[in-house]
Amino acid sequence: MAQQANIGELLSMLDSSVLSVRDDVTAVFKENLTADRGPMLVNTLVDYYLETNSQPVLQILTTLQEPHDKHLLDKMNEYVGKAASRLSTLSLLGHVIRLQPSWKHKLSQAPLLPSLLKCLKMDTDVIVLTTGVLVLITMLPMIPQSGKQHLHDFFDIFGRLSSWCLKKPGHVTEIYLVHLHASVYALFHRLYGMYPCNFVSFLRSHYSMKENLETFEEVVKPMMEHVRIHPELVTGSKDHELDPRRWKKLETHDVVIECAKISLDPTEASYEDGYSVSHQNSARFPHRSADVTTSPYVDTQNSYGIAASTPYCTSRLSSFSSPGQLPPTLSAPSTRPLTEPPQATFWSPSVVCGMTTPPTSPGNVPPDLSHPYSKVFGTTAGGKGTPLGTPATSPPPAPLCHSDDYVHISLPQATAVPPRKEERTDSARPCLQRQHHLPNDRGPEELSGSKGSVTLSDLQVFLGNLAFEEDSIEKDKEEAAISKELSEITTADAEPLVPRGGFDSPFYRDSLPGCPRKTHSAACGAQGASVNAEPLNSSLDKLGPDTPKQAFTPIDLPCGGAEGSPAGNRERQTSLQTSILTPSPCKIPPQKGAGFGSGQPPPYDHLFEVALPKTAHHFVSKKTEELLQKAKGHTAEDYRPCSSPVEVLDRLIQQGADAHSRELNKLSLPSKSVDWTHFGGSPPSDEIRSLRNQLLLLHNQLLYERFKRQQHAVRNRRLLRKVIRAAALEEHNAAMKDQLKLQEKDIQIWKVSLQREQARYSQLQEQRDTVVTQLHSQVRQLQHDREEFYNQSQELQTKLEDCRNMVAELRLQLKKANSKVCHTELLLSQVSQKLSNSESVQQHMEFLNRQLLVLGEVNELYLEQLQNKHSDTTKEVEMMKAAYRKELEKNRSHVLQQNQRLDTSQKRILELESHLAKKDHLLLEQKKYLEDVKLQARGQLQAAESRYEAQKRITQVFELEVLDLYSRLEKDGLLKKLEEEKTEAAEAAEERLDCCNDGCSDSVTGHSEEASGHNGEAKPPRPGIARGSSGSRGGGGSSSSSSELSTPEKPPSQRAGPFSSRWESAMGEPSSSIPATVGSLPSSKSFLGMKARELFRNKSESQCDEDGMTISSLPEALKTELGKDAGVEAKPALTVDGPHPSPPTPDSVGQLRIMDYNETHHEHS
Amino acid sequence: MTEDSQRNFRSVYYEKVGFRGVEEKKSLEILLKDDRLDIELRTFSQRFPLPSMYRALVWKVLLGILPPHHESHTQVMTYRKEQYSDVLHALRVVRFVSDATPQVEVYLRMYQLESGKLPRSPSFPLKPEDEVFVAIAKAMEEMVEDSVDCYWIIRCFVNQLNNKYRDSLPQLPKAFEQYLNLEDSRLLSHLKTCSAVSKLPYDLWFKRCFAGCLPESSLQRVWDKVVSGSCKILVFVAVEILLTFKIKVMALNSAEKITKFLENIPQDSSDAIVSKAIDLWHKHCGTPVHSA
Repeated sequence: MAQQANIGELLSMLDSSVLSVRDDVTAVFKENLTADRGPMLVNTLVDYYLETNSQPVLQILTTLQEPHDKHLLDKMNEYVGKAASRLSTLSLLGHVIRLQPSWKHKLSQAPLLPSLLKCLKMDTDVIVLTTGVLVLITMLPMIPQSGKQHLHDFFDIFGRLSSWCLKKPGHVTEIYLVHLHASVYALFHRLYGMYPCNFVSFLRSHYSMKENLETFEEVVKPMMEHVRIHPELVTGSKDHELDPRRWKKLETHDVVIECAKISLDPTEASYEDGYSVSHQNSARFPHRSADVTTSPYVDTQNSYGIAASTPYCTSRLSSFSSPGQLPPTLSAPSTRPLTEPPQATFWSPSVVCGMTTPPTSPGNVPPDLSHPYSKVFGTTAGGKGTPLGTPATSPPPAPLCHSDDYVHISLPQATAVPPRKEERTDSARPCLQRQHHLPNDRGPEELSGSKGSVTLSDLQVFLGNLAFEEDSIEKDKEEAAISKELSEITTADAEPLVPRGGFDSPFYRDSLPGCPRKTHSAACGAQGASVNAEPLNSSLDKLGPDTPKQAFTPIDLPCGGAEGSPAGNRERQTSLQTSILTPSPCKIPPQKGAGFGSGQPPPYDHLFEVALPKTAHHFVSKKTEELLQKAKGHTAEDYRPCSSPVEVLDRLIQQGADAHSRELNKLSLPSKSVDWTHFGGSPPSDEIRSLRNQLLLLHNQLLYERFKRQQHAVRNRRLLRKVIRAAALEEHNAAMKDQLKLQEKDIQIWKVSLQREQARYSQLQEQRDTVVTQLHSQVRQLQHDREEFYNQSQELQTKLEDCRNMVAELRLQLKKANSKVCHTELLLSQVSQKLSNSESVQQHMEFLNRQLLVLGEVNELYLEQLQNKHSDTTKEVEMMKAAYRKELEKNRSHVLQQNQRLDTSQKRILELESHLAKKDHLLLEQKKYLEDVKLQARGQLQAAESRYEAQKRITQVFELEVLDLYSRLEKDGLLKKLEEEKTEAAEAAEERLDCCNDGCSDSVTGHSEEASGHNGEAKPPRPGIARGSSGSRGGGGSSSSSSELSTPEKPPSQRAGPFSSRWESAMGEPSSSIPATVGSLPSSKSFLGMKARELFRNKSESQCDEDGMTISSLPEALKTELGKDAGVEAKPALTVDGPHPSPPTPDSVGQLRIMDYNETHHEHS
Repeated sequence: MTEDSQRNFRSVYYEKVGFRGVEEKKSLEILLKDDRLDIELRTFSQRFPLPSMYRALVWKVLLGILPPHHESHTQVMTYRKEQYSDVLHALRVVRFVSDATPQVEVYLRMYQLESGKLPRSPSFPLKPEDEVFVAIAKAMEEMVEDSVDCYWIIRCFVNQLNNKYRDSLPQLPKAFEQYLNLEDSRLLSHLKTCSAVSKLPYDLWFKRCFAGCLPESSLQRVWDKVVSGSCKILVFVAVEILLTFKIKVMALNSAEKITKFLENIPQDSSDAIVSKAIDLWHKHCGTPVHSA
C-alpha cells in the first residue's frame, strides 16, 4: 500500500511545473517499469492518464516496453468496453500505436482489436467512431496479416459508417459528420489499398442491395472516383491478398505508400516513383503536397504571418546569401560536374529557377510537352535576370560534394517554402508580379522561395530519373530545352509571370479566394488560362473558380477554407457543409483554422510542421536556422530549439483548447456563437461542446495525418539512400568509362606493336623456310646415303648369314666325324676285346686240343682195352640200355600220370575254394537270417512277455480282488463272532450270578465255551486252548485270573496252560496277533462253528444292549477282567481286519486248520 | 537308394513345385515291402506326412507293437489281441468295466491294470496322469478304428511319452520361449509383460500333445512326428499357434485371458497351423535326412 501511495505521489509530481522534477519522476517510473513486470503500475498509469490527460504519463505509456504491452492492452481493452472512458482510451491507443512500438505485431492477437472493432460496429458517438476509425486505419498497415480474421469486420464497419455519413442517425451534427466522412474516406482508401479484391467483392455484394444503393451513389461512388484500378485486382486474388507471406515483405510505411499509390487524390497519391501517375502530376505534386500540409496552417499563418514572415524571410535570405558569396557561375557548374557529370545538366539556370521539373522528367513526356516547359524556364530565367546568380550560390555553401548534401540543401530550401507562400499570400503576391521591376529587393526572396519549390520538385524528379534510369534521354532533352530557353530569355518578358502564376496558382489561389487578394487570384486564374494548353490537368482544373474543383480534388476545399479571415472561413464552411459530396481529409483544415483562430502558437512550430513532410531533413532545417541565428546575431522570438515540432504542435493544440475553454466567454466566442447560431441554430453552450469535440476530432485527424506523413518520411529516407547508392554507382560507372578509354588506348598501342611483331614474324618465317628447304635437301641426301649404307649392310649381313651357315655345316661335319671316330674307337675296343677273347679261346683250344690229344691217346688206350674186352660187355650193355630205356619210359609215363593228377587236384582245390566261399556266404546269410529270426523271436517273445506281464497283472488283480473279497467276508465273520462271544460271556456271567460256587465252574466252562465257541465243545482241556486262541494277548493274564477264580478246575487249566502256550509258540511264527484270528477263522467256518453260531444267532440281536448290562452286573474283579478281555479281543480283531488283508499265507491257515482239527479230533477221541 | 528307381521320376518336380505327399504313398508302400522296417519308416514319417491308410500300421511298427518282420506280424498281433481280451476280461471279472463303460475308460483301466496302478475302486478320482491318458485316448479313438489297435497305440504312445520323452518334455517350455523369441520377439515380450509365459497351457500342449486342443485330422499329422521320435514338433506347433493368433493374443492383456483363449483356440485354421508348424520345425531343426 505504501508503494501505492508512493505511486500516487509520484503521479502528482509528474504534472509539476518544474521540469527537472518531472524528468526525475519520469525516470523513476521507467526504472520501476523495467524492474517490475506486474500489471499494477501500468494500470495505475492508465487510470491516471484517463483521469488527468497528463502528458508525461502519456509519454511513459507510449514508450512502454515489451513485457508491459499486454497489461496495457488489457487495461485499454477493459476501458474500451466502458462507454465513458472509450474516447480517451481510443485516443490513448492512437497515441501508443502511432509511435509504432516494438510490440505492434501483437496487436493483431490482442483482445483489444476485436473490442475496438465491436465498438466501431456498435457505438453511436461520432467522435468515438471517428477516433476509432482513425486508430484502426493507423493500425491496419501495422497488422496487415490480421485481415484474414477481421476482414469482414473492417468491411462491416466501412459499410456501417458509410451509410452513417448519409443517413445521419440521431442528432449528429454535421460538423462531426464531416470528420466521420473524412475518416471513412481514409478507411475506404486503406481497405482498397490493402485488400482490393476482397474489398471490391464486398462493395459489390454490399451495394448490390437496393437499400444500400443510395449510400453507394452518394458516398462510396465519389470515393471511388479518387482511386485508380488496383493492380491487385488484375493479378491478385482474394486468398493472395490475405496471404501473410505477401505482408511479410512489406513494412508499415510500405503498406501506407502502397495504399497511397492507388489514389488519384493528389494529396494522397505517391509521386515518388512514377507508379502510374503521369509525370505532369509527379512534377506538380510537390507543390501540392507542400500546399496541403501548409493549408491547415494557412489560417494561423495568416494571422501572424505579416508579423513573422518578413524577418524570417530576410533571415533566410541572408542565410543563403551570406555563404553564397562565392561566384555562382563557378560554384554551381564546377562543383557538380566534378562529382556527377550527368547531374550537371540539372543545374542549369533553368533548374535553379525552379522550372526544370517537367523537362527533366523522364522520356515519357513527349517532346511537344517539354517544349512549353522549356519556355517556362526560359521565361523564369529571363525574369530573374540578374538575381540568377544568387540562387546558384545556394548549393556551394554547404560542402556539396555528394548528392546527400545536395538533398540537404534542397531541403532547407523546402523549409523555406512555407514562409514564401505565406509571404505570398499576405503580401508577396504583388511582389511576385513586381518581380521584374524590383529584382534587387524582392528578387532574392522570391528566388529563394521559388528555389525551394524547385528543389523539392527537383528532388522528386531526380529520384524519378534515377528510378527510371533514363538520364541520357533527359540530358538530350534538357540540352535542347536549355538552348531554347536561352534563345527565348530575351524575347519573352511578359511570359514569365504566366507559367509561374500557373504553376503556383493552385495553392495560391486555394488560399486566396476568401481574402482580399481574390482579385489577384482571378488574375492568376487568367494567367493560368494561358497555361491550359499545357497538359497540367490539375492546374487546368484549378483555373476555374473553386467550386467546380471541389468534387475532384478535396484539397481545394480545405484550401478554400483556409482563408485568413474568420468570416470567409465561415462562408466557406457553410458552403462546404452544404456540399459535402467529396470526402477528403483536407476538409479538416478549415475547422482547424477556425479552432486555431484564437490560438497563438509560436510561428516557428508551424513552419516546422510545414517542413515536416520531409521530416528527414528537419534536422538540417534546424541547423540552417541555427546558422541563421548565428549569422543574424539574434534568435527568433518564439523559437524553441529543444522541443520537437510535433510536441510543440500537440501542446499548441492543447493549449489552444485550454485557452479556448478559458476564454470562451471573453473574446471570440460571442461572435462565433452568434455566427453559429445564425447558421446552425444550436445554442452556445452546445456550441462550446461541439467546438471542443471538433477540436478533438481535429486533433485526431491531425495525428493520423502526421502518422501518415511520418510513414512517408520513413520511405523518403529509404529512397534517399537509394539515390545515394545510385549516384555512387554512376560515379563508379564514369570511373569505369575512363578506365575503359585508357584500356582502349592501350589496346591500340598493342595493336600497332602486334602489327610490327607480325611483320617480324613473317620475315623470320621466310628465313626459317629457306633454312628448312636447305635442311630438307640435306636430309634427303643423307637419307639417300643412309639407304645405300643400309643396302651395303644388308649385303654384308647376307654374307654373314652365309658364313654362319657354312660354319654350322662345318660344325655338323665335325660332329659327324667325331662320332665316327668314337664309333670306330668303340669298335676298336670291341675288336680288341674279341681279339683277346679269341686269343684266350685259342689258348683254350690249344689246351683242349692238347687234352683232346691226351684223351685221344687215352681213348685209343681205352679202345684198345675195349677192344680187348668188347666181346663180353656189349650184351650186358645192351641189356642195361634196354632196361634203362624201359625204366625211362616208365618214369616218363609216371611223370605224365603225376602231372595229370596234379591238374585234377588243382581243379579240385579251386572247386573246393569256391565251395568254401559259397559256404561262407551262406553262413553269413544264415547268421543274418538267424539274427532276423532271433529278432523275430524276440519280438514275439516280447509280445508274449508283455502278454505274460499282462497275465501277471491280471492274476494280481484277481488275487487282490479275491483277497478283498476274503477280507470282506472275514470282516463280516469276525464281527459276528465277536457278537457271539460277547453274548455267550454275558449268559455265562448271568448263570454264575445265579449259582454262586457252581456258577464259578459253570462260568469257567461258560467262559471256555465262549472262548472256544468255534470248536463248540466245552470240555476241561478246551477252555485253555480256547482261551489261548481267543485271548492271545491276555491269555496269560486271563488264565491266571481264571485259575484264581476257579480253584476247583485248576489242574485242567494248568494243564491247558502249557499246552496253550506251546500252541501259541507254534503259532507265534506267522504273526503276533493275526494267527489267533486267522486260526479261528476256518474253525468258525467249520461245521462245529457253524452250529455254534446258529445256536447263538438269535441272541446276537440283543447283544449290544445286554453287553453293557451283563458287564455292569458282574462282580468287580470279574467285570474288570472281562472288560479287559473283551476290549483287547475286539480291538485286535478289528484292527487286523483293515490294514492287513493280504499277509496271511495259506500255509499258516492250513496249519491252523489242521491243528484245530487235530485238536478237536484229539479231544473227541 | 533302391526305391528311388521305382519311385515316380516326377516326384522331385512335384516337391519343387510344392505338391507334397503326392508320391509318399507309393514310396511308403515300397518301404513297407522291406522285411525289416523300423528305421527307414521312422525317417520317412519325420519327413513326409503319412497316408492315412498306412498310418495305423506305421505307428504300430514305430511304437513297437508290431515287430519289424512281416512274418511275425500275425502272430504278434494275435498275442496282442489275446492280451487285450484277457485284460478286458479280467477287468470285467473284477467288475471294473462293464458293457456300459465308455471305451476310453476301458482303455484307461486296462492301462492301469497293466501298469499295476489300478485303483482299489473305480470310483476313485482320476490322477493327473490318468487325465492325460484319457485326453490322448479320446483323440486316438477318433484316429484308429480297431479297438485293439487303438488300445495298443494309446498304451505305447503314452509309454513313449512317459519313458522316452520323460527328460525332454520338461525342457519344451524353455525351447518354446526360445523359438518364439526367434520368430516374434515382440509377441514374447508382450506375453512376458502380461506374465503369461509361465501360465501358458504347457500341460495341454506338451503333456497331452495337443490332444483336445487340435482336431484329430490335423493332430494326427503332429503325432506322426511325435511317434517317429521327435517331440520338438510340439514346441513348433505351440509357437505356430501363438503366431497365428498373434493379433488376438496381443489384444489380450491378462495372463488368464490368454491362457483361456489358447486353451480353446478356434479349430478352423488348425490344418494351416500344423503345416506351418512342420515347416517351421524343418526350418529350425533341419529336414531329417534319409538314413541311407
